[in-house]
Amino acid sequence: MRSLVFIPAWNEEDALPGVIADVRKAIPGADLLVVDDGSADATAERAREAGALVASLPFNQGLGAALQTGYLYALRGGYDVCAHLDADGQHPAEEVARLLAEVTADRADLVIGSRYHAGAVAGSGDYRPTFSRRIGTSVFRFFLTLATRQRFTDTTSGMRAANRRVMALFSRHYSPDFAEIESLQLAVRQGLRVEELPVRMLERAGGSSFLTPLRSAFFIFKGLVVLLVGQFRPRHVETE
Amino acid sequence: MGLVLAAEPGQVHLTSQTRIVAAALALFFMLMILELIRRDRLQERYSVIWFVAGLGMLAGAAFPGLLEVVANLMGVRNTNVALFSIVLLLLLGLALNFSVIMSRQAAQITRLAQERAIEKALAEKRAEGDIGNGASGEEALQPEKQGLEG
Repeated sequence: MRSLVFIPAWNEEDALPGVIADVRKAIPGADLLVVDDGSADATAERAREAGALVASLPFNQGLGAALQTGYLYALRGGYDVCAHLDADGQHPAEEVARLLAEVTADRADLVIGSRYHAGAVAGSGDYRPTFSRRIGTSVFRFFLTLATRQRFTDTTSGMRAANRRVMALFSRHYSPDFAEIESLQLAVRQGLRVEELPVRMLERAGGSSFLTPLRSAFFIFKGLVVLLVGQFRPRHVETE
Repeated sequence: MGLVLAAEPGQVHLTSQTRIVAAALALFFMLMILELIRRDRLQERYSVIWFVAGLGMLAGAAFPGLLEVVANLMGVRNTNVALFSIVLLLLLGLALNFSVIMSRQAAQITRLAQERAIEKALAEKRAEGDIGNGASGEEALQPEKQGLEG
């Protein structure tokens, strides 16, 4: 069973080396790929120094395109399972290892690490979302649950593990703008087994969230449009 | 002027002067497109719609009666309203067409960037003799084949 862990990174030179070291320690058997999304700082150099393989996009393409690069690499490289986590240090690698174990055991095709899941809150009080993020989270949670008829608590989580069926799907279709939410909707609509696992998350190590109230409102509106349109997309039968 | 037009519906008020100006503009427009194609600044496949627009302008200038016919077909009394509606709809359609083309090209650029990033990463991996990356160099050499098998 070959596994790949990939980290989409955009201007994360400070936090990234720590994340790589964490992954190496917690998941020693996996290959590691950093997808550098056209960073202007030394993200790629730091990643190489830390011993990771780096795939650099020539210009910033957005999180969705970076994640898709990882899925495409995993598919082409013949990996059986893959996982990804954020580069800012919010995601402990030992939690990612738990997600990978879930996919490896074939209990699900796609596993999402959820910081809001009932089991997650009891374990830690580490993660405290901001007000606008809480609103956005509950709106998306409601509509995604409505759209998929499956309960999701953490729709925007960037900590996930997947098998080859998901790699094949996501390397073909992946929304560049609304990566996290639309991909969940897509996976469920294709009949894949999507599961949430409660995980522990930390405060971000560096940088600040891009979400100001106005941008949040726009983000939510855009997300709802994307979800609505997604409901009318054809259900493809994936051939892989 | 507006009142006069409203009072006499179905009449197209184009003096021969405006007709000549419109025809000249249409001809100039089409020549400009021809020149753009000649200099490789515009691809033929995107020029067809503009030639059609130019011909439409020319036809309108040559036969003002056409506009009246179209206005009647649309059920619009004022030919000016008909003209502006048609032009507006055409421009809307064009703008939408451009959005579609833009989306397709954005997707293509993204895929190109991804392919190039992956290629470079694989080349780097091979060059390093795969130190500290688990998989062997052999496997990295045949990514396509493995992807198809999987």
